[in-house]
Amino acid sequence: MEKLTGKRLFMLTFGLMMSLVVLGQQVRVSGTVTDAADKATLPGVNVVVKGTLTGTIADINGGYSLMASPGDVLVFTFIGYLPQEITVGDQTVIDVAMRTDVQALEEVTVIGYGTVKKSDVTGSVTAVSAKDFNKGAITSPQDLLVGKTAGVVITTSGGAPGSGATIRVRGGSSLNASNDPLIIIDGVPIDNNGVSGSSNILSFVNPNDIETFTVLKDASATAIYGSRASNGVILITTKKGSAGSKLTVSYDGNVSVANPIAFVDVFSGDEIRKMAYDKVSLFGIDNLDLLGQANTNWQKEIFRTAVSHDHNLSLSGSAKSIPYRLSLGYTDQNGILKNTDMKRFTGSLSLNPTFLNDKLKVNVNIKGMNSNHNYGDTGAIGSAVNMDPTQVIMDGNEASAGYYQWANYGANLGTANPVEQALEADNRSVVNRVIGNIQLDYALPFLPELKANLNLATDYSKSTGHNNRPGTSPSVLTSPLYGRLTDYHGTNYNNLLDFYLNYNKDLSSIKSNVDVTAGYSWQHFKREGDNYQRGIIDAWHTYYQKSDSSSFITENYLVSFFGRVNYSLMDRYLVTATIRDDGSSRFAKKNRWGLFPSVALAWKINDEVFLRNVKALTNLKLRLGWGITGQQDVGNDYPAQAVYRESSEGSYYMIGGEYIPTLRPDAYDPDIKWEETTTKNIGLDFGFLNDRITGSIDLYNRVTDDLLNTVTISSGSNFSNTLLTNVGSLENNGIEVSLNVIPISTNDMTLTIGINGTYNKNEITKLLLTDDPEYIGILYGDAFTGQKQVTRVGYPAYCFFVNQQVYDQAGNPIEGLYVDLSGEGGVVNGDNADKYIYHNPVPDYLIGLSGRFEYKNFDLSASARASIGNYVYNQVAAGASYDQMQQIGYWKNFTRALAETNFVKRQFTSDYFVENASFLKLDNISAGYRFDDIMGGVGARVSVTVQNALILTKYSGLDPEVSGGIDNNFYPRPRTYMLGVGLTF
Amino acid sequence: MNKKILIFGIILSALMISSCVKDLDVVPIDPTKILAGNLGDDPVYMKEALGKLYASFIISGQGANGGDDIAASDGNFFTTMRALWNLQEITTDEAICAWGDVGIADLNTQTWSPSNPFLTALYQRLALSITYANEFIKNFQDIDTPDAVRYVAEARFLRALAYYWAVDLFGQFPFTTEEDGVGKFFPTIATRAQIFSYIESELKDIDTSLGEPRYSYPQADQAAAWMLLARLYLNAEVYTGTARWQDCATYCGKVIDAGYSLATDYRQNFSADNDGYHNPEMIFAWDQDGTNIQGYVGTTFIIESSSDAVYIRAEDFHGLTSNTNWNGNRARIQFMDLIVDTLATYGNVAVPTSDPTFSQCLDKRVFLKQKKAMNIPSASSNGDYGIGVYKFTARNHDGSEPENYNTAYACTDFPVFRLADAYMMRAEALYRLGGAENVATAVDDINLIRERAYGNTDGDITSADLSLEFIIGERAKEFYYEAQRRTDLVRFGMFTGGAYLWQWKGGSFDGASTSSHLDLFPIPGDEIAANPNYNGQNNPGY
Repeated sequence: MEKLTGKRLFMLTFGLMMSLVVLGQQVRVSGTVTDAADKATLPGVNVVVKGTLTGTIADINGGYSLMASPGDVLVFTFIGYLPQEITVGDQTVIDVAMRTDVQALEEVTVIGYGTVKKSDVTGSVTAVSAKDFNKGAITSPQDLLVGKTAGVVITTSGGAPGSGATIRVRGGSSLNASNDPLIIIDGVPIDNNGVSGSSNILSFVNPNDIETFTVLKDASATAIYGSRASNGVILITTKKGSAGSKLTVSYDGNVSVANPIAFVDVFSGDEIRKMAYDKVSLFGIDNLDLLGQANTNWQKEIFRTAVSHDHNLSLSGSAKSIPYRLSLGYTDQNGILKNTDMKRFTGSLSLNPTFLNDKLKVNVNIKGMNSNHNYGDTGAIGSAVNMDPTQVIMDGNEASAGYYQWANYGANLGTANPVEQALEADNRSVVNRVIGNIQLDYALPFLPELKANLNLATDYSKSTGHNNRPGTSPSVLTSPLYGRLTDYHGTNYNNLLDFYLNYNKDLSSIKSNVDVTAGYSWQHFKREGDNYQRGIIDAWHTYYQKSDSSSFITENYLVSFFGRVNYSLMDRYLVTATIRDDGSSRFAKKNRWGLFPSVALAWKINDEVFLRNVKALTNLKLRLGWGITGQQDVGNDYPAQAVYRESSEGSYYMIGGEYIPTLRPDAYDPDIKWEETTTKNIGLDFGFLNDRITGSIDLYNRVTDDLLNTVTISSGSNFSNTLLTNVGSLENNGIEVSLNVIPISTNDMTLTIGINGTYNKNEITKLLLTDDPEYIGILYGDAFTGQKQVTRVGYPAYCFFVNQQVYDQAGNPIEGLYVDLSGEGGVVNGDNADKYIYHNPVPDYLIGLSGRFEYKNFDLSASARASIGNYVYNQVAAGASYDQMQQIGYWKNFTRALAETNFVKRQFTSDYFVENASFLKLDNISAGYRFDDIMGGVGARVSVTVQNALILTKYSGLDPEVSGGIDNNFYPRPRTYMLGVGLTF
Repeated sequence: MNKKILIFGIILSALMISSCVKDLDVVPIDPTKILAGNLGDDPVYMKEALGKLYASFIISGQGANGGDDIAASDGNFFTTMRALWNLQEITTDEAICAWGDVGIADLNTQTWSPSNPFLTALYQRLALSITYANEFIKNFQDIDTPDAVRYVAEARFLRALAYYWAVDLFGQFPFTTEEDGVGKFFPTIATRAQIFSYIESELKDIDTSLGEPRYSYPQADQAAAWMLLARLYLNAEVYTGTARWQDCATYCGKVIDAGYSLATDYRQNFSADNDGYHNPEMIFAWDQDGTNIQGYVGTTFIIESSSDAVYIRAEDFHGLTSNTNWNGNRARIQFMDLIVDTLATYGNVAVPTSDPTFSQCLDKRVFLKQKKAMNIPSASSNGDYGIGVYKFTARNHDGSEPENYNTAYACTDFPVFRLADAYMMRAEALYRLGGAENVATAVDDINLIRERAYGNTDGDITSADLSLEFIIGERAKEFYYEAQRRTDLVRFGMFTGGAYLWQWKGGSFDGASTSSHLDLFPIPGDEIAANPNYNGQNNPGY
């Protein structure tokens, strides 16, 4: 019906247009377009005969000329100016003076504790607003921003419903302290410590409520947040109602269908059977009996096509003088892994009334969420790769609820049946979260330039969850218990008080403006939780099998004083200086306070006399910034105190003939203090052709000293072998470029293209308390799969650390043969002396591309990303070997990569498995059509979107985008097809 | 009115600011966390802190309340007794491990390097137990209640025990006492001889403060300290160059006279009821329990790593049914020849496959079973090759289920000192001292052990049978899989070199001679880097 209405409208308009053309007597109309303010001519203005395709663009002298009929309406449009409509009468010369669009010019950018005019920003700040967000069935706010800004890398943790993402702004500035940026939503900083039972710290924000993301990148922008600003700051502003507007109701909904893109390429049952006979000397003749007759594709059995839907309703307007916006959202997302889903309700209300003749501005925001997660068992993904395909899914064995399980055939360490693992898991959580704040901004009556701002906020979340398995599950999934019952609870509290005074005065006598802010902030974080795990007690398992119960409660405080001065001279020379004095309860008294200063200078070059007449240049601003930021989020609230910790049940000892808990002192560093990052930034913002081309270039250097680093300490000096302490330095150097081009901009048609590029180089410059040039570095890895990564002085963090594979003449790797890099001779096995540093998981270059095309009511947009120079260790392939195929009493499957390596034993430390995972991803492509009035003033929009549409890569695993660089069967990102409908009335 | 609001606001803010700055003085609000200054608040804290000193040797940490004591890639792998067992056993003829985990292959073939994770973890764990003990002694040494005096003496015993293993494995070691603080300093490195003297003086000094023998199992008592002194003296020549055989015999004698007796059934020492409450032979052991002291560590590790799905099923042999049969450890053929005494038992023919458990053997200490093949075709062959060992079990010695039975964790304690060792050490010391009377006592001591093994006097020896070769062989038969083999072989000059070869020693099937510098393990590379007092110098040969 909607389509019909649209078509009818189109026909009507078209008909009307035709009749006008036929009826009118055409004349040539010409004239000059000028700027109403300075009378200068304006080139590039669009002039269109309303309702037609007839139009032109004003020439370099502001002149235009076109054919029109009396009665036609000429529409003059230009970015940054208010549109004008002039009806053609009998005149043939129509001169137009365009007035600047005050609102556009006054476009403000949110910064810490205030806003500035966009043109007056001195730091490296990028704002991304709703129209530029990624499209599709998006349930996590982070997904909106992926690839949209230079210097911001967002990696989702996988395709699980509601899953989180890691965000890195300009590379990590820390090794062991948090590298997460500070996220502030409507003025409330969020605790980066997640809520138990929730995998995404931002899940309580409905993506549809977000108006803008503002990313503060350099220290001059972030230093006002002092000790939490080292990894950048992301300010999220949600949509608000506007004063005096009528009630607008809008609905946005979508239905999406998600499919797995591909499966890990493993051997079939027939192939395993053949291999077992071919290599019988290796596997042993007795073990052939253990093979089944089936050809089960285990991956197919645990994945599915998942249909999800999402609904959002918002009401905004102004009730009497109170602007409001209320929004409600409901998401029902199903994962492609069976038995995983998320159902979420979100609600948000914002009120922004003003009182006392607009002197008192009040801003109230309340956001609430209720989410029900079903996490299932993602371990089934790995089991489905490794489970023997010769076995059937169900063999009717009652001990295992009918599922085939190796444990019934003498191998209780055998791979769990993936279908049982996925379907019989009962792993659910309910999370409720409320976050609210009230912000009062009061202009003092006796000194209107002085404003007082008070912000009170609270963030409360409560979660309960359980993760259970029935008694019929195999013991590899429940050991040491029979069945498994786990309950957990968590509560997070976060309270905030900010108060600041702001004084803003124009000093016209000296052509200056000063803007001074001084304030104070108090924040309290408290988290508590518990976890209780035990086995199932039934008629056959009556003994006590309590395994673990634990609880924790922890808190910390941050108290800060801050100030900022913005000074501008002749509206051309801008200076910003900020300072923050932060106190953290985490540190001992002598190290408690940290001072974080910053200075930035900006020069609006295009406003200089010598450039004022270069009309093509609309903006040219040079920015210089320097600042120091800190990091105190060490993951432990009491790192500077000697704390004794009681052991949980199962870790007791017998003293005095009784089993009692033990009491252990935790390692601590009484001298621990802030990590400090010094950032230097040079930036150039530019705009040409009335901002049809805009962009910026930033160069930065970030040096982190007193790195909070967990290092091996000299044995005997503390209560563990490692200690989190301030030692070491690292450096990041990078370039960010962003460019926005509007090649087409007419009344009917626009094309916008955005490109951003990032280069970042990370280097460790110091690591130890001592300066040992021989120091191998901090090694990462586990006992089972070897140490494969290292952080070493002179290299980027987390480099791969592997043996150099030797190949035969055919180019195949020779098992266990590596280059003797140490020169010591002998057997070159997995020993560290023979390993070398070979690439790292972080890309050298990142390119984000987005385009949006609109023609009348039709729009088309796409976003793509290229990542160059990121390497991935393919652990799925590295785990494959023939000797692992037949394990103690059971058979295992592997990726077909085994047929290429033909390794009998696993070679975890071979560089063969470190692969170039550079990629180009077409993240989403979306087309939409807008119906202005389907009936009774109801506007509508219909869209279709494909997410994760295309991946180009040489990487041999499923997905080259791997958080942390070790690919070990993570939840695959699906390809999603979405149909969306929006209604406004 | 507006002004009033403003003034009110300013006053309110000032109040808040001053009170809020005070908020920065926090103490933990978690009741399971106690500050060092509060340790005196409740007498139970002293007991719990003492419990930690013991637990630090056997389990990985505080469980769900705080995790492992050391940062390592696997908590259970790198516990003290598990790592110690690996260094003492799979480096010898008694065991070889089939797993591909980093560092295992190097230990199997005596080709380890300073970055081996097992020796790194053991070094760090021993130092950590010493640091915990230092802290305990510092906190409680000034309290003069009988409990506190005894507990502090126990802490000094445990510290001496950790130093003993450090001396045995690494030689030089960072030296700290209760006088040292906690922070980021670099401890001085003491020589092997210096630490030897310190252990000796500490153990003598605490003799009167420790509890009487058997006063409160599994806590250390006087007999435990005497056993440790005896073992220190037994190896004194290796550690210092000066033999102390007489001192060894003296302290063994004190233990033998302390009221212990051999368990009637040899197997009870390795069963769930091997603890001091049920077993008259046990002097000192690390307590393990299915309910209270859990982990894939200690005896649970020994049992599970030596079980497999076909030949020695943990379900059938040991009553462990959950997460079992890791199929890692088994013995090498030379060890079988030694303890089964295949020449005497089977004549000049190969052991028949019809006798998979060596039932013809008269010595009832043989808990071995044939697997797929007795030879291990490659150093990394899977655990189906070699000689299975099921000496340790999670059942009681009569086959019944223990009180705190658990499907995954054994209740069997890890024996450190048992009476049989006092006899065997005395026999060796007296034999080496020589003289008819000494040798006669040595023969009596050994026959006591052998009569239990044979169930009668058929296995008795005379002084003519006694030799160093006999003694090292008898120690293998009595103490195999008890984490003593490497120390014994080093003392007899058989661990490295070419005098005694076993399959895959040095990396070859028939065994190859290895360099004598391997008698000591290297100082871990991480520690050389972290402590400048090493001056970058490792043990000789590394």
